[in-house]
Amino acid sequence: MSQTHERPDRGSTPGIPRWMKVFGIVALILVLLLVVLMLIGGGEHGPGRHIPSGVPGGGGYTLPIEHRIQQS
Amino acid sequence: MTITMTYSLRKFALTVHLTSSVGWIGAVVAYPALDITAVTSQDVQLVRAAYLAMELTALYVIVPLAFAALLTGLVMSVSTKWGLFRHYWVVITLVLTIFSTVVLLLETQTISYLAELAASGVDPRELPGTLPHSGGGLLMLLVITVLNVYKPRGMTQYGWRKQQQHRKESSAVDAGLT
Repeated sequence: MSQTHERPDRGSTPGIPRWMKVFGIVALILVLLLVVLMLIGGGEHGPGRHIPSGVPGGGGYTLPIEHRIQQS
Repeated sequence: MTITMTYSLRKFALTVHLTSSVGWIGAVVAYPALDITAVTSQDVQLVRAAYLAMELTALYVIVPLAFAALLTGLVMSVSTKWGLFRHYWVVITLVLTIFSTVVLLLETQTISYLAELAASGVDPRELPGTLPHSGGGLLMLLVITVLNVYKPRGMTQYGWRKQQQHRKESSAVDAGLT
């Protein structure tokens, strides 16, 4: 049997295992679910959407550095 | 790429890897206790303390353990037969670990901000928790643990080529000896 780089001596190249396919499908569903939840939540991500308006950063998450600038 | 390590050095790296990985999971399991206390308790002092403890736990326990687990995991991969890109379970573990570490680093900014607010004059009972992220992080770590324990079969194209190459080299050596 000839032994070339493209066609080695031990059958064809391995396919993607079944558990990987299941894992990929579950991961895809979870990602889509997260995207939908974020869209329903108004596209905001982070605690800012829960912080009341009386609190610095409320109504939209403010990074700590921005918060310090606002305070100064 | 495979790095050759002495037996004792490999055992030491494995010990550090297991300790940091298990410690990471343990810390992430303990963290929601603080998180839940922060969002459910009506005791202002307790809620304030919970936010401050969340920051300390995240910055000085979870982040260092995450980096230690990631780095020692990389060392273990390249110094053993498993490699880094040869088996699907190792690749998935690597991707999930990097993703978890990146999200953790981003989340520490939020946690620090919440702790900063809790320490200021703001009523800490009005602040949100970080349960979705800590829950998601715990789920990721459990998936990684299951993959590392069961090591499901499945070789990548790269791993398969490397295996074939190794077999050819072994056959050539055997033929040369006979």
